[in-house]
Amino acid sequence: MLDGLVLYRRMAAASIAAQLRYPGTFVLQAAGNFVTTLLSFFGLWSLFHRFGSLGGWDIGMVAVLYGLVNVAFSVAETLGRGFEIFGGEFVKTGNFDRLLLRPRSTLLLLLGHELRLRPVGRFLQGAFVLAAGLHLSPHVGWATVWLIPWAVAGGAALFLGILIGQAALCFLTIEGLEVVNILTYGGVEAGQYPLPMFGRWLRRFLTWAVPIAGICYYPTLVMVRHADPLGMPMWFGAVSPALGFVFLGVMVWAWGRGVAGYVSSGS
Amino acid sequence: MRAYLSAFVLQGRIGLRYRIAVAAGLVAQLWFGAITLMAYASVYHHAPDAHAPLTLRQAMTYTWLQQSLFRLLPIGCLPSVGDAARTGAIVYDLLRPVDMWAWWLSSSLAWLVGAAVPRAILLAAIAGPLAALLGLEAWSLAPPVSMTAAILALVSFGLGALISATIVMWWNVLTARTLSPLGANAIAVPLSVLLSGMLLPLPLYPPWAQTLLLLQPFAGITDIPIRLYLGVAIPGGAGTAIVIQIVWLAVLTLFGRAWMRRTVDRLEVQGA
Repeated sequence: MLDGLVLYRRMAAASIAAQLRYPGTFVLQAAGNFVTTLLSFFGLWSLFHRFGSLGGWDIGMVAVLYGLVNVAFSVAETLGRGFEIFGGEFVKTGNFDRLLLRPRSTLLLLLGHELRLRPVGRFLQGAFVLAAGLHLSPHVGWATVWLIPWAVAGGAALFLGILIGQAALCFLTIEGLEVVNILTYGGVEAGQYPLPMFGRWLRRFLTWAVPIAGICYYPTLVMVRHADPLGMPMWFGAVSPALGFVFLGVMVWAWGRGVAGYVSSGS
Repeated sequence: MRAYLSAFVLQGRIGLRYRIAVAAGLVAQLWFGAITLMAYASVYHHAPDAHAPLTLRQAMTYTWLQQSLFRLLPIGCLPSVGDAARTGAIVYDLLRPVDMWAWWLSSSLAWLVGAAVPRAILLAAIAGPLAALLGLEAWSLAPPVSMTAAILALVSFGLGALISATIVMWWNVLTARTLSPLGANAIAVPLSVLLSGMLLPLPLYPPWAQTLLLLQPFAGITDIPIRLYLGVAIPGGAGTAIVIQIVWLAVLTLFGRAWMRRTVDRLEVQGA
């Protein structure tokens, strides 16, 4: 276990060093990432400007939601790059066979494949919007201090789980399918809006199937001390980030099943 | 002329090859469309007297049209030009006895249209008639307001596709110049998503930005045609709308060609 951590640290250090070899490219990509994500907040802001509220929710609350989901996703994007490209670069080419020969967990090896620095743009921008949102909300409680790291950790686990599930799916489809982007980018998009704005089927999906609301909407309600109009008790927001870890656990189990049934491909 | 036509047909066939990608894209577009529509519905219901320039029904139709034409946006350089610039195969394009602008433009246009049209027809069929049949009339894609609007919109969509292909040409020249598609693609995505109305319908941005938004080239790709389709008033009427598109097409082509000549004159070729 400890030995695995040491190995991961070395792989991560090598990956960071490789990315910093091209400082110009890195700065441009991170800046591009920052601007692109900031523009999407401009879209939300324009809706506020035009309609005064977002379905009755004030801009502080929506900014907190937006910040949380983006920070969580950027952490998962940084860690999970190996799973994102898994279909094209490991399964289709047959390179995964080489990973299987190494005496370490495939999950660890893929996590160490690349520690991507580019999402730092999304992270900074999300953190900035999150801070602004908390500043604008009138009743921020003390629970916020520990809820932010807890919700971000749960969210990172959730999105990492989606990436692992997406990679496990590649054992069946060989190539990566872009359709799973509806859970990553589409999940970020859905997490930005307060849950009651959606229809019932989508609310249930986002709470119990892919618990994006559990790492975003419910903890935010606790932070800004706003009762849930749909009647979910307040304490739920304090424990709901755990759903992200549950999701990650299920996906790791699915990954194990996928690896067990893997019969190579490629040349 | 035949050369440009065959470049068009070839690239179009490549686009039609990927049926699974079309299906996957369709699911993603429906998902994003559904989220956006529910958000708009909630926003509109909570502010009944906001006097938005689009009604909820129009905003929904706008969103569906935008989603179905997502691949018409100039979100990057032509992939084969990107590869050619990286590997040095660009020299073969330079050797062809054809006008390189028209050659690349034919391919770029086919790349956009070949990807966009099958997706647009499928998604429009699902979001329009099929949704109405399933009893989701209130959420569906509405038909054009009138026959005139339909014809105007069709002409305008055609011009929009040409403008988009011309903007792709600018990305192509930029790629040839910087020897890598990364830079062009990095600016192409945010610009097209924001300025074409994909992120938020252009009429819903703050009033002070309206004239500026209407007069920039990306509005001509999908926003102006959709406004004509919906019958939303455009300052100066439908005639002005089409003129804006033609002027941008001319300006982008003229300056683009000049830029391309300068780039080709001192082009560096890398690779083996």
